[in-house]
Amino acid sequence: MYRTYLQLFAIASLSTLSAAIATSGNASANQGSACRIAGLEKPPSICASHNRTLAATCFNCHGPDGRSNGAIPSLAGQSRSDIVNAMKEFRSGQRDEYATVMKKYALGYTDSEYEAMAEYFSNIK
Amino acid sequence: MALNRREFLKAAGAGWLGTLSGLSAMRSAHASTSRGRPRVVVVGAGFGGATCAKYVRLWDQRIDVTLIEPNEKLVSCPMSNWVLGGIRSMQDLEKGYGDLKKHGIRMVHDWAVGVDPVKRTVTTREGATIGYDRLVLAPGVEFMTETVQGYAEAALAHKVTHAFKAGPETALLRRQLESMPDGGVFVIASPPPPGRCVSGPYERACMVAHYFKQHKPRSKIIMLDGHFDVVSKGPMFKAAWEKFYPGMIEHRPNSLVTRLDHVNMMVTTEFDDVKADVINIVPRQRAGKICAVAGVRSDSNGIWCPIDFAAFESTSVPNIHVIGDSVLSNMPKSAHVSNNQAKICAAALVELFNGREPNPYPVIGSTSYSATSDTTSGPIAVVMRYDPDKRIYVRQPGGGASPVSDETNFAYNLAWFENIWADTLG
Repeated sequence: MYRTYLQLFAIASLSTLSAAIATSGNASANQGSACRIAGLEKPPSICASHNRTLAATCFNCHGPDGRSNGAIPSLAGQSRSDIVNAMKEFRSGQRDEYATVMKKYALGYTDSEYEAMAEYFSNIK
Repeated sequence: MALNRREFLKAAGAGWLGTLSGLSAMRSAHASTSRGRPRVVVVGAGFGGATCAKYVRLWDQRIDVTLIEPNEKLVSCPMSNWVLGGIRSMQDLEKGYGDLKKHGIRMVHDWAVGVDPVKRTVTTREGATIGYDRLVLAPGVEFMTETVQGYAEAALAHKVTHAFKAGPETALLRRQLESMPDGGVFVIASPPPPGRCVSGPYERACMVAHYFKQHKPRSKIIMLDGHFDVVSKGPMFKAAWEKFYPGMIEHRPNSLVTRLDHVNMMVTTEFDDVKADVINIVPRQRAGKICAVAGVRSDSNGIWCPIDFAAFESTSVPNIHVIGDSVLSNMPKSAHVSNNQAKICAAALVELFNGREPNPYPVIGSTSYSATSDTTSGPIAVVMRYDPDKRIYVRQPGGGASPVSDETNFAYNLAWFENIWADTLG
């Protein structure tokens, strides 16, 4: 189903491609570094959009851009390795104290998604 | 879940049409882009709608966003049970929309009453006509009070509340509990699934019991539950009821309320008549009325809105997206999920307006906290990942509810509330 969707998308895009390029000058979803999520490398815009949205789904607990107002820790400005290590320790059960929700969340994301989220939050100053 | 399965299959079958219409709609979106700036109109400024409006603007400022909402402030359903428990005030639930203006969102305080999907316009009660390229409907639920005989009359007499849309009913229910005599009976009835905030009535029992324990210790709470058990955070709630409020809360599963006699204050189920001093009935729900007006409340029973889940676009009407409690899905109907759906939808809109394919594999986190006393809460958490072949969000392994409530989670519950406010309205 998904492959068929892509084919259709490609056909539909032909008529609109030039207009799209002309209007997408500062499209921020195209910015950012290499794709960190396995399987989503092409086209890069999908990976960029996924990274950004994935990080944004953390905000309702951890605060906008990971700046928390309360007992839930801020993620903004934490180093990439700290965030990735924390997720891995939540998943393995090594980090247990105060790890209520994150023990469950860590099991639902992939290693490459840990990396993508860590990249986003480590870049917030 | 079994109830929904047939509708699921039907929605999955219809999904193909939605994909096709999505593509044709993309062309027309570009047509309007070449005319001028793309226009998104969002109806409803709750945790879903306000978040969607904000994130479209955050992620692409060349898109014009209009947010239609009759109320001047958002009254939060999350934490509204805390008002019933006397540990928060109504003011703690309210926040204005002022901060959204800094994102360049045009706010229209009016009711959306009409949608023309061909001309792509929304009309308001005061007579405004607002054009859109993409419309996002986030109206929340409408209560099917007609499913309980006598409900309408009782509501007119102020003898029943659902208080499942926070606001005047929350305040009324609190006053009723305050004037109830010690030794009285408080009845909470909840509907069978699917509906808004499944854990809400169980948390409500905890909060009212917390109030009774201090002020009316001889009183009783009877829960007439349309579910077969305490289906959300069951072990946690049962443990809390036993530990904090022994003997006060009686939970009756499979108890569907059919009738209400407010003159004699009698609630009738398929099995029982229950005499009450204060009656709180959460009726069955359906997608907000504007979804029916727009033609997207199109599942087999005309209750919920089937959508294509990658972009949350209706499978019935192109260019109309639906987010939040109105969606036909296996996702919980909660503020947290609505807020995250809004981001998936906003991201898809930005990609579509830029002629790019929306992410076909969105991922959503779902968290919900419930308080069991004035110092203890517990969470449920799960990651849900969209599967384009199955056309549903699949719950990832490892999710679930905490078996206990504690003070750490109470602190997290408070932080969650501050942060989701800021994320939605800040």
